[in-house]
Amino acid sequence: MPGTPALDAEGLTVRYGGTVAVDGVDLRIPRGETVALLGSNGAGKSSIVNAALGLFRPTAGRVRLLGRAPAEAVRAGGVGAMLQHGGLPSETRVGEVLTLVRGRYADPWPLDDLLATAGIQGLLGRTVDALSGGQRQRVLLALALAGAPPLLVLDEPTSAMDVGGRQAFWTTMRGLADRGHTVVFATHHLDEADAVADRVVVVGGGRVLADGSAAAVKSRIAGRTVRFRCPGPRDGLAALPGVTAVDGVGELVELSTSDAEATLRALFADRDALPGLEVRGATLEQAFLHLTTAPDTTARDTTAPDGAPR
Amino acid sequence: MSDLLLFQLRRVGRNRQYVFFTIVLPALFTVLFTQVFGAQATADGGQADYGELYLVSMMGYGAIGAALGATIRLAFDRSTGWLRQLRVVPVPPGTAITVDVAVGALLVLPSLVVVALVGRFVNGVELGPGSWLALIGVMWAGSVVFVALGIGLGIALDSQAAGAAMGIAGTALAALGGLWWPVEILPGGLVSLAHAMPSYWYAQLGRDVVSGSAPSAQAVLVLLAFCAVFSAAAVAVVQRRPLHAVAG
Repeated sequence: MPGTPALDAEGLTVRYGGTVAVDGVDLRIPRGETVALLGSNGAGKSSIVNAALGLFRPTAGRVRLLGRAPAEAVRAGGVGAMLQHGGLPSETRVGEVLTLVRGRYADPWPLDDLLATAGIQGLLGRTVDALSGGQRQRVLLALALAGAPPLLVLDEPTSAMDVGGRQAFWTTMRGLADRGHTVVFATHHLDEADAVADRVVVVGGGRVLADGSAAAVKSRIAGRTVRFRCPGPRDGLAALPGVTAVDGVGELVELSTSDAEATLRALFADRDALPGLEVRGATLEQAFLHLTTAPDTTARDTTAPDGAPR
Repeated sequence: MSDLLLFQLRRVGRNRQYVFFTIVLPALFTVLFTQVFGAQATADGGQADYGELYLVSMMGYGAIGAALGATIRLAFDRSTGWLRQLRVVPVPPGTAITVDVAVGALLVLPSLVVVALVGRFVNGVELGPGSWLALIGVMWAGSVVFVALGIGLGIALDSQAAGAAMGIAGTALAALGGLWWPVEILPGGLVSLAHAMPSYWYAQLGRDVVSGSAPSAQAVLVLLAFCAVFSAAAVAVVQRRPLHAVAG
C-alpha cells in the first residue's frame, strides 16, 4: 500500500507513573520524507520513537507504520531502526551479527554495498567488544539498513560520533533519502535537522511545538540572547522590542530576543554603557522555552488537553 | 529460529570460563572427590560406592552450572541492548527466551557426557549400557529445573547481579544440596536443608538410576514443583519488566 503514510500517529500519549512523556501527539509522515524530531533531552523524542516502534504500548492513541501495527511492520521487514539504548551482543564478531540480521530479511541489502554505505568495510572480523563508540554506531546503522527497509527510524544516531563521523553519516542519510527511503530521526542538534531534513518537528514537553520546513522552523526558533551586567533596576527590560524572556543570576541579565538589533538599539537609547555585553545565538533550550511560552507559535495540529503544565 | 540458536550456541561455546566451569571443573572434581572421600572409606570397602555417588553428584553439579551459566546471560544481553535491538529486527516475539531455553538445555549435555566418561574410564564406575543412557537421560531431563531458574534470574537481575547470582546459586545448590559431600555426613539441621534444595532431588534421580531402580516419584514430583515455581516466577517478572526494557 504505497499510499499509506510511513508513520501515522494519532493522539499518541505515553505516561510513566505520574510523568507524561508524550502528550497527545498527532504526526503523519508521508513516504519518502526526511523528518527530524527536534527537541532537548527529556522533550519526549525517544518516547515517541519507542512507541512508534512498538517497544512499548502507548497509554492512549495509536501509531501505524506503513499501514500496519508497529510490531507487524517490523516483522514484515519494513522498518529499520537505530535505538538510543540498542546494542550489540558480546562475544561475537561484527560479521556474525550482520549475517544473522541480514538473514532475517527476505531481500537484504547487498553485503558489499551495505558495508560501504555504513562505512564498516574491514570491521567484519572484529570482535564486537573491541569496537570504538563511533564504529559501534556505524555497525548499528548497518543493522538498521540490513533489510533495505523503506522506513528508517533513528534515535539520536550521531551521539557517539565525532565531527567527521557525523558529516559522513548525514551524507549517507541524504543518499538514502534520495533513493526513496523515509528517514525519521530524533536529534537535539538544530544544525543536523537543518542540514538533512525536509521537515522539522519540534518536540517539547511531550508535545509538537512546531512543524514545518527546516527554514520555517529555524526562523522561528533561531533567537538570540543578549547578556550584560546590570546592577540597577531592571524594570522595563521585558517590554523592550524583541525581548521574549528576562533571566539572569545576580548582576547578570540575560535577555532572550527574537530581534537582537532592535533590542540593542533600545538598550543603548536608554543607557550609556552595557558592561560585559555579549550577544549570542540562543541555545535550543531557550528556543524551546520561547516556543513553549509564546501562545501564537503553537503547532498547526496539536491539541493540548488541560494545558499540560511544565 | 535455528539461525539464532546456532548464533547463541557459538557465543556461549566460545566463552572459556563457561567451558571451564561447566565441563573441566566438574570432571576434575569427579576424580578429586572420589579419591579424597573414597580413600577415607576404603577401609570400609566403600570406594566403588563413592565412585558412583560422585559420578552422579558431579554430573548434577556440572549440569546445574551449565544450565544456569547459559541462561543467566539473558541479563547480559539485556544490558548491552541486544535484546532491545532484536525487537526492531524481524524476529517473532518470545524467540529470544525460547532460544536461550534451548541453549541451556543443549549445553547441559556435554557436561553430563564428559563427567560420565570420566566416571567410567578414570574412576572405573561400571554400569550397563542401558543404565548409562538412563542416567544421562534423567539428568538431562531434570536439568530443566535449573534452566528455568537461570532464565528467571536472567530476566530479574541486572548484569552485575546476575554474574554474582550465578556463582552464589551454583555454589549454594551444590554445597547445601549435597553434591560436594554426601548428605549423610552432615548434621541433622543441614540434612533437612538439603532436602529443601532442588539439587538434592535432582541428584536423587541419578542415584536412583545408578542403584538400579527408576527415579522415585517423590524426586520427580518435587522437581516438577520447583520447575513450575521457577517458570511462574520468570513469567511474572517478564510481564512486569519486558526483556527489551532498558536495564536500570
